[in-house]
Amino acid sequence: MTVGLSLERIGRTLRERLYGLFYGLGYFFNVLKESILFFKRRQVGFRVLVMQILFTGYEALRISAVLALAIGVAINLIGSSLLAGFGQGKLMYTLLIIVVTRELGPLLTAFIVIARSGTAIATELGGMVVAHEIEAYVAVGVNPITYLAVPRVLGVVISMMVLTVYFNVFGLFGSFAVMQLLKPVAFQEYMKNLVEVLTVGDLLLGLVKSLVFGVIISVVSTYRGFAVERSTTEVPVAGIRAVGTSFILCIVADAALTAVLYLG
Amino acid sequence: MGDEPIIELRGVGAHRGGFQILREVSFSLAEGATTVFMGGAGSGKSTLLKAAAGIVVPDEGAVFFRGKDLSRMSRAEELEFHRRSGFVFQDAALWANQSLYDNLALPLRLHEHGLSAAEVGRAVARVAELVGYSEELKARPSELSTGERRLIGLARALVLDPELLFMDEPAAYLDETSAERVFEIIASLGARRRSVAIVSGSSEIAHRFADSLGVLKAGRLLAFGSYAEAVRWDDPAIRVVTGRLRARKGPVQGDAALSAWADALAGSLGEEAPPAPARPPDRAAGERSEAEAPPGPADSGGSDQGGPAADIDEEGR
Repeated sequence: MTVGLSLERIGRTLRERLYGLFYGLGYFFNVLKESILFFKRRQVGFRVLVMQILFTGYEALRISAVLALAIGVAINLIGSSLLAGFGQGKLMYTLLIIVVTRELGPLLTAFIVIARSGTAIATELGGMVVAHEIEAYVAVGVNPITYLAVPRVLGVVISMMVLTVYFNVFGLFGSFAVMQLLKPVAFQEYMKNLVEVLTVGDLLLGLVKSLVFGVIISVVSTYRGFAVERSTTEVPVAGIRAVGTSFILCIVADAALTAVLYLG
Repeated sequence: MGDEPIIELRGVGAHRGGFQILREVSFSLAEGATTVFMGGAGSGKSTLLKAAAGIVVPDEGAVFFRGKDLSRMSRAEELEFHRRSGFVFQDAALWANQSLYDNLALPLRLHEHGLSAAEVGRAVARVAELVGYSEELKARPSELSTGERRLIGLARALVLDPELLFMDEPAAYLDETSAERVFEIIASLGARRRSVAIVSGSSEIAHRFADSLGVLKAGRLLAFGSYAEAVRWDDPAIRVVTGRLRARKGPVQGDAALSAWADALAGSLGEEAPPAPARPPDRAAGERSEAEAPPGPADSGGSDQGGPAADIDEEGR
């Protein structure tokens, strides 16, 4: 009897998980399709898109710049003292490119976006569900995915890519400016060494990662927001889940992309 | 009454959070008639209305608008359905991040591409006046009282002069004057042969407006029939919900001024009025007859002519 009940429970859980997985995949492809059609649609939320870029991209510039500068300066300091001690001073530039452009830059930008916009999107949409605002959109014929999800997805993706470029600029060049106050380096020498190790592939990988992270964060956050059913207490939970899932998926995607690059 | 119902539900069931909200609900709404659904708290009234309006997708069964399955409609057909129907939410459900003006203008901007900004402005002002809201429309919904929000919610549902209006507890949270205004609008819609579906716990609304009445309990449609039949329903389980319904003495009267407003709105939207269906029997007669056929068992889950559903009784409700 107990074994039967346990098996039944396992079966039910498995069925629910599978249903959730397929529902999530269906949502993802729906958002993808609507994103492609976004600019053709008449009922498009251009205003929502602009506001999302303003909030996710523009308003995050300062924190992104501070983080990029701090990391760039730290690598510069470590490189110019520790690595130089082993006669490997030039490795500092390779390290700078790997950390700022390829690895930490996109990931830290993703963390900033998750913390600021992921939670905001999930809780805002969740609040709208509870207040029946989403149903009101459906009632007048507005597709919530087209009008509410897609502009947010596009806004987050565009912002992620712009923020990553911004992070690179501040991490690679801004840190040079700060270094002039701490441990001056000749500009020409710095640039020459940097350009020697920087490849288009490094920049592209950073952009590809930011694109993937942007899609993950925005799709997960809108999905979690729409998944709220009826209670206001579900709204903060949706925010927490959006953050948790986005963190995990971004880290997994980062590892996968890095593995593809280094093993491929 | 036209042959084809404007809305038909066939075996509709809905679940939420592991609970069954609706169970095998079937009925049809006649064109040009006002149908009132009554039921206690948690009986599934609002979900039923949302399923009929295409807002909630049923887990079982299907909803048809003039014979077309909502779930099989193309995007264009779906848009057309929403243009021809309006929904009044129990809690108004106004878009909090938009002004009242934008709340009212969005349906016009979405469906009436030919309208200039000035024409949209005129239509918005007219519909706000209709519901008796005379304050500034630049405000946000959060600045309004619950009653005012409900009036704006009603105005939003009416702004496209819909052929079919769904109303969830239309008089809830309203003061007496506003409630009376809403009642006048419902009567006016009825007089203009608009189809109206109302869910309400108030037998007063049923008494004043219902051409047909449905009774819900625990997600099941216990009974569905004309008001004249409903007056004679004597099943205690139904009586508990409906109270003692009174026979109506006169026809439902529409407000002439409100009808004139609605015609003007339809004109400004460049529409022709929908074909006027034949008068529902009760209204055509001018008063409710109580000596018609005795209440018979509804078909599986009810029909637009059925009485209390005997077969549901057998399922041990």
